Amino acid sequence: MTIRPHPALTMNDALRFDTLAFLALYLLIAAASLFLRLLPLDLTGTGWPGPDLLLCLTMGWLLRRPAHLPAPVIAGVFLVEDLLTLRPPGLWALLVLGGTEFLRRRQSVVREINLALEWTMVAGVIVAMTLANRLVLAIVMVPQPPLDLSLMKLAFTLAAYPVVVLVLHFVLRVRKPATGEVDDLGRKL
Amino acid sequence: MPNDRLNEADYVRPVRRLVLGVLIVVFGALFLLWRIDSPRVERFRTAFVDAVVPNMDWAMAPVTRASRMIEDFRSYARIYEQNQELRRELQQMRAWREAALQLEQRNAQLLDLAQVRLDPQLTHVTGVVMADAGSPYRKSVLINVGARDGIVDGWAVMDGLGMAGRIAGVGQRSSRVILLTDSNSRVPVSLQPSGQRALLSGDNGPVPVLEFIESPDDVRPGDRVVSASDGGVFPPGLLVGEVVQGTDRRLRVRLAADYGRLDFLRVLRSRPAERIEHSGSLLRPVDATGMPLDPETGAPAGQIQPAPLHDDPPTPGADNE
Repeated sequence: MTIRPHPALTMNDALRFDTLAFLALYLLIAAASLFLRLLPLDLTGTGWPGPDLLLCLTMGWLLRRPAHLPAPVIAGVFLVEDLLTLRPPGLWALLVLGGTEFLRRRQSVVREINLALEWTMVAGVIVAMTLANRLVLAIVMVPQPPLDLSLMKLAFTLAAYPVVVLVLHFVLRVRKPATGEVDDLGRKL
Repeated sequence: MPNDRLNEADYVRPVRRLVLGVLIVVFGALFLLWRIDSPRVERFRTAFVDAVVPNMDWAMAPVTRASRMIEDFRSYARIYEQNQELRRELQQMRAWREAALQLEQRNAQLLDLAQVRLDPQLTHVTGVVMADAGSPYRKSVLINVGARDGIVDGWAVMDGLGMAGRIAGVGQRSSRVILLTDSNSRVPVSLQPSGQRALLSGDNGPVPVLEFIESPDDVRPGDRVVSASDGGVFPPGLLVGEVVQGTDRRLRVRLAADYGRLDFLRVLRSRPAERIEHSGSLLRPVDATGMPLDPETGAPAGQIQPAPLHDDPPTPGADNE
């Protein structure tokens, strides 16, 4: 038996039940990722920066179901990440917000293209965000991580994106809406 | 693309833009504020971390424990490697130890050649071991020097390297040496780096036991053991051996003297240290009968108390009465 919201509640489509459930799932994954990063273990152990999986997840999710992730949620998650991982607070969250909004605007385009093209587009956005980050930090003269390390992190992040998309598709069941798919209210997605 | 806005009500777009604009302004302002007034924002960050992270303690504890178990397991997996490494190191250490022992022996031989005396008061008489008074319960040897050569009971006996025992029983031409391993042998020793005093008591085994150590925690196997002059029995500073720990966890001494080849033994003529028993004779001269003399006049000053207990010092005029 599927839980259907009362018809009176469905006027506000932002509060649809499955949207909230997916939002909660996203928040849970984000919290777990932060938690794992805060644990006093060195999971990498090699001194290499790992990929920014949370960013990949956010972008892949956003391009599939933008309604699940409202901008304030993304902004809040990345601001918390900024605060907890001792980055300059606000800057990376601002850039992620800009990048995700850019992708959100182009969601209807991405819906039509295949994974390779989508990957290229996301890669372009992430590279632009990284460059902007370094540029702003250089302008305000904040000490930055070494260039090779941040390039390595960028490469890992870009390489991880298709994997994250596959996980989204097959494990979390977050998929692009098929043509003609409708939501609970029978409206086109 | 008109169709992606179909589901939105009319008011959604402006609200979304407004929220987005506010967020952008807030984040930009936060970053600039952090750049301008870093301590204040860092304090906020600290407060935030303080509020968030301890709440995750309950979750962190099992995870860290699990990871530590994994780490332990990994170290078990490496145990063979570690064992090999330790063996290699042990081999090297053995080589060093051998070298050190040889150097010690050589040093003792050179000291012997140069006739370096440990104490200028100390001379020695060398005797040949005549008999090994072999019984399982007595560890002693007989040497061919005796009262004729001026041997006195209680003198220390050494072989080339370290102390072997002491004289216990002097005959006219021979004397008996009771070895340190004898069960009746009790010798005061001092443990070298820590400077602790202990009693070396033989138990008929090859490695005698250290007893009455003041604080055994300060003693480690490998410490040097030298003789101590406690009780005036032995001259201090003769090498006895090194501390080892037996299988019964007791501290024992591996003797420096080579008990397997006791051919020549050296009896150290130790002059008994002067004993100071009358405190008064240190402070003022005494005559032959032990009567204290007045230091200025040299006359007997019997009526004066040696140690005045009251505060005012005795005047010289009072002494002459």
